[in-house]
Amino acid sequence: MEFFFQQLTNGLAVGGIYALIALGYTMVYGVLKLINFAHGDLFMIGAYLGLTLLTALGLADYLSPFCVIALLAVMVLILVAILGVVLERVAYRPLRQAHRLSAVVSALGASIFFQNIVMLIYGAKFQVYPHDLMPRTVVHIFGMPVPLIRILILLASVVMMVALYTFIQRTKVGTAIRAAAIDQGAARLMGINVDRVIALVFVIGPALGGAAGLMVGIYYGQINFTMGWIYGLKAFTAAILGGIGNIPGAMVGGLMLGLIEAFAAAYLSVAWKDAFAFCVLILILIVRPTGLLGERVAEKV
Amino acid sequence: MGKRFITGMAVVFALLLCVQPVMAADTIKIGLMAPLTGAWASEGQDMKQIVDLLAEELNAKGGLLGKKVEIISEDDGGDPKTAALAAQRLSNSGVVAVIGTYGSSVTEASQAIYDEAKIMQIANGSTAIRLSEKGLKNFLRTCPRDDEQGNVAAKTVVGMGFKNIAILHDNTSYAKGLADEAKGLLEKQPVKIVFYDALTPGERDYNTILTKIKAAKPDVVLFTGYYPEAGLLLRQKMEMGWNVPFIGGDATNNPDLVKIAGAKAAEGYYFLSPPVPQDLDTKAAKDFMSAFKKKYNAEPGSVWAVLAGDGFNAVAAAIKGSGSTETAKMVAYLKTQLKDLPGLTGNISFDDKGDRVGDLYRVYRVDASGKFVLQP
Amino acid sequence: MKNKRWIVYAAFSLVLLTSPAVLNRYWIDVLNVVGLYVMLSLSLNIILGHCGMFHMGHAAFYAVGAYTTAILNTVYAIPVLWLMPLSGLLAGLFALVIARPIIHLRGDYLLIVTIGFVEIVRIALINNVFGITGGANGIFGIDRPTIFGMKISTPGQFFYLIWFFVAVTIYLLRKLEHSRFGRALNYIREDDVAAAGSGIDISHYKLIAFVIGAVWAGFCGTLFAAKMTIIAPESFNFWESVLLFMIVLLGGRGSIAGVILGTFLVIGLPELFRQFATARMLVFGAVMIIMMIFRPEGILPPPPRTYRLDRTAEPEEAA
Repeated sequence: MEFFFQQLTNGLAVGGIYALIALGYTMVYGVLKLINFAHGDLFMIGAYLGLTLLTALGLADYLSPFCVIALLAVMVLILVAILGVVLERVAYRPLRQAHRLSAVVSALGASIFFQNIVMLIYGAKFQVYPHDLMPRTVVHIFGMPVPLIRILILLASVVMMVALYTFIQRTKVGTAIRAAAIDQGAARLMGINVDRVIALVFVIGPALGGAAGLMVGIYYGQINFTMGWIYGLKAFTAAILGGIGNIPGAMVGGLMLGLIEAFAAAYLSVAWKDAFAFCVLILILIVRPTGLLGERVAEKV
Repeated sequence: MGKRFITGMAVVFALLLCVQPVMAADTIKIGLMAPLTGAWASEGQDMKQIVDLLAEELNAKGGLLGKKVEIISEDDGGDPKTAALAAQRLSNSGVVAVIGTYGSSVTEASQAIYDEAKIMQIANGSTAIRLSEKGLKNFLRTCPRDDEQGNVAAKTVVGMGFKNIAILHDNTSYAKGLADEAKGLLEKQPVKIVFYDALTPGERDYNTILTKIKAAKPDVVLFTGYYPEAGLLLRQKMEMGWNVPFIGGDATNNPDLVKIAGAKAAEGYYFLSPPVPQDLDTKAAKDFMSAFKKKYNAEPGSVWAVLAGDGFNAVAAAIKGSGSTETAKMVAYLKTQLKDLPGLTGNISFDDKGDRVGDLYRVYRVDASGKFVLQP
Repeated sequence: MKNKRWIVYAAFSLVLLTSPAVLNRYWIDVLNVVGLYVMLSLSLNIILGHCGMFHMGHAAFYAVGAYTTAILNTVYAIPVLWLMPLSGLLAGLFALVIARPIIHLRGDYLLIVTIGFVEIVRIALINNVFGITGGANGIFGIDRPTIFGMKISTPGQFFYLIWFFVAVTIYLLRKLEHSRFGRALNYIREDDVAAAGSGIDISHYKLIAFVIGAVWAGFCGTLFAAKMTIIAPESFNFWESVLLFMIVLLGGRGSIAGVILGTFLVIGLPELFRQFATARMLVFGAVMIIMMIFRPEGILPPPPRTYRLDRTAEPEEAA
């Protein structure tokens, strides 16, 4: 039984990060119907920026760990958000009237570009966050040791998800985003500045990705320029699993994917866990073609 | 539409023609095939640094046969298809020999091409047994083979008195080969293999696997994969509060292992590897170390990159020793006449198949400060 | 207008066919790889370009074909080219089995499912499924093909073998494009509800398109195995599928000439950029974005179908 709970926490820790990245995918998809394949790379850039700022500013010398992380988080969020807006402006906006898949190719190009520019700037070697950044506190839940940082990561994901959901559902700007998601033309007629809404989406989505990158950097320590591709694919899977375009869906999909992987590895085979996760995804989509929480979209007429 | 098509094609062909290599005969050209981009870019870029440095030194001393040496490097991207193209390109650039590459399947994709072009190839990071069992005359390698390492791994594990052994690999051609070799040998010993599975390289979180291995209650874990994953495993193992010794293969011989794991988590980690120049007190190794530090202001990275350097040394020795750049003569010289060439990883000799001769493997242990200490 | 276009194509073919005489082995081999990808991309073009299904897992079918050839050749020593029909058949059968339950999925959901399939196939290959795929090592020692007793081994010989099959592919696909079936696929792509309303059995047609594409990818697998003589799972990963996906979209969905040009660019450009060494993929990524911005429908989008009013004439495509 301890084994089961241990694997449960393992799965939730991984799933929390998938969920956070999936939120960014879902945000962008919801409004633009664009699979932003460069999203994983923005996540990777977040991890690199965090490390650069940390070492360049030397914050850790005179601030407490939590202040350092909070400050870093703010800076990384802003920088990655700026990058996200620039990306949208340069690579996606000119393609807004074009076929949906044109923007997907542009996104893939951006992904290749980001990976290689990071490789050229930082080198191909693995980069490592300082090890003493976070106190390695372990708390006991029902007598089981769980590292505090895992709980914090999960908590951060949940808080961000709830905040985002409230923002979208309860505020005026959120309503504008939802309106633009449903029908851009109609939203424009209602006096909504759709360009601003899309820019805003490209602030929030990449910022969330950047935050996830920073967390991965701090928690796991080791980062490299190809990590965005792997996490990006997993997060995309998670977003689809939950129903893409749906914010709670991203959260559910992320956590579920983490759990499926953990239990497949624990009770079946480690080497086959990804294949198993994809099998589950395919089965779910066969039964529910728009994901777990995805709305049944009316056929276009 | 026709016009556009022809313009497009014309542009492509014009570009194709522009970059045709210009041939020049006043230098001796040596090819380096390395993964300069892609997942193993870090290895490949190290390889290039080391080979460039050695070539520069050689040229400062007057080069070979009165000519300067020129290194022509091609990117194989760490993938067989790109490697086949890189090999065609190198075969066409007038190189007399090729060094590289990293990864057995990548090397294999290029073997036939060099063989048909009759160019000597000295691989540096391709340990699969079969590469030298195909009877290709002009293929040599400076790295040892999987069977040798498997043998040493099994002996080390048994010699340390472990009874319940977990074997973990990463499903790459290299790590799987080593894991299978070790498993086969260990099954003949009075020990029990309690766990055998593969992780997915490139992930960050290996807690699930560690939890699973822990439940199998091994005395020791033999991990045959690469350093990025080994570093994470060690780190996450410490965070779990699990105190089991880890033994790794030579792909974990990289200073970044300790950077990733942290000195505390890496302490007590054993791995097998050919000796790196840092640990040799031969003149060749020491000179190389100081020259490398001077030029790049860093320590050389993985042992594989250093083995590419040894590949270069072997090519240079072959040209010098045979007094020729003809493939047959160079190969004959390396296989029959060359004995104990002082290299960066100890003395170099080759056997008839082109494999490196000698017990290359040593056992290393990581000490409390994160240094790799050669075990007696 | 029509004649002019044919002159262009003929000139291009002539240049291509005589190019091995002037190019060195390396560039011939680049053209060989381009040829293989032209064939693969054209097969994906049926699914993605003509029928408009978001399919990002084409490497899975390619892998089935390549492994079928490799296994049967190395174990039973059956000549490589004889295995081509069987490889295509098995790839098609595989496509039929997996596509049947998912063919109704919409756009992006289909996309992730096909990605899922290509990953499952790769993981299965790497884990040595059924003990016949050789795991991560792959399969080596595949025979070179022979034609009328002549062994094909040099890049020059492969050039003519591969481009012969490319020519056959183009010919057949042109027939398909102008057939009732091809028009039905385009109708589905443009408006599936209207297509269904006109009596087209959408699922049925989509499934057939999927299977034809897969069969063709299986054929390519045979050629690939014969050319490389060693195949390993990493040649069939997700990235390979993405590459094919990009070729079709960059070239122009549903346009044969466009897809060919797209292949030359996507496969050829990184080779041309070799002089940038480590920066070559960076340049490549930037070029992709720029190309998409300036030609969002691809470099050579298919011309709109037009028909002569004169009913007795065959339907003709206009330039």
